[in-house]
Amino acid sequence: MNQPGEALSDKSALVQRLQDALAALESGDEAGWRREIDALAALRAQPMMSGLGRLARELGQALGELPSVPSEAGELDDACARLDHVVQMTEQATHRTLDLAEECRALTERLRADGLNAEQGEILERIRHNLTEVALTQSYQDLTGQIIRRVVGIVRRVHEGFGALGLPPPEEEARNQGLAGPAVNGLDRHAVSQVDADDLLSDLGL
Amino acid sequence: MRILIVDDFSTMRRIVKNLLGDLGFTNTAEAEDGHAALSMLQTQSFDFVVTDWNMPVMTGIELLKAIRNDAKLKTLPVLMVTAEAKREQIIEAAQSGVNGYIIKPFTAQTLEEKLGKIFERLAASA
Repeated sequence: MNQPGEALSDKSALVQRLQDALAALESGDEAGWRREIDALAALRAQPMMSGLGRLARELGQALGELPSVPSEAGELDDACARLDHVVQMTEQATHRTLDLAEECRALTERLRADGLNAEQGEILERIRHNLTEVALTQSYQDLTGQIIRRVVGIVRRVHEGFGALGLPPPEEEARNQGLAGPAVNGLDRHAVSQVDADDLLSDLGL
Repeated sequence: MRILIVDDFSTMRRIVKNLLGDLGFTNTAEAEDGHAALSMLQTQSFDFVVTDWNMPVMTGIELLKAIRNDAKLKTLPVLMVTAEAKREQIIEAAQSGVNGYIIKPFTAQTLEEKLGKIFERLAASA
């Protein structure tokens, strides 16, 4: 970015602005003085704004191609909905795991009712203990879910902040690059079910 | 002993319910936020509350404060089970009258210990 020539011309432009501002101030040209000072401020703010603009675009890309115009928040909702979907998927899987753990515990009760020798009783206790641990380990779902919800909140706030600054500037980005990843119900119109896929394959002679 | 379990994550409610069941506390009910919990506490009879902190609508700390400010409920024991682990938060909970505080993730043994300690203290003060 900072080429020597560019820096030099920046410097001479800065000197010129400062001299113009000083001249305006000395000659009592209030409007002229303000104009020069504003121009100087803009000169300083411009790299920061372009930096923020780049950051906003990178954030957008990192989150799966967010809108290049912040007011179109639709795709941000899409990105956040994907994260919400992760919470739902882990919730379902966790309930399934808990179902199975509970069922296994009930089965151990039946074994015990049938009468066991000492060694078998000991093993059964260990199995029951491990099933408790399996259930408890599923609390990761709550904890990761909380973290994801927090990140969704942060993303929304950062994006709103960029929007308030008018960032990122409209830019044509290459869209739909890369793999879509797991399909999210209600969001991914490109997604097909296994049945659809089988139909398609059979149409293709497979 | 009837226990109300308050957490916005259904998985965590279920895990806590199972652990309490293992410890012999099989009479439980569930609420998904502080507001729902409070209305259950006001209309039904409970002996103990296990609550999360971070929940939508009404948080666990707000629930705790509401319980302590309610003439009928103020002596109800409240155990907080939460991922909130900042010093100031634990202090706030203690100052608001919490009876126990467990940080997620936790072990079955921790739950048993904390419950035991709460009941011991309650028995001593009774």
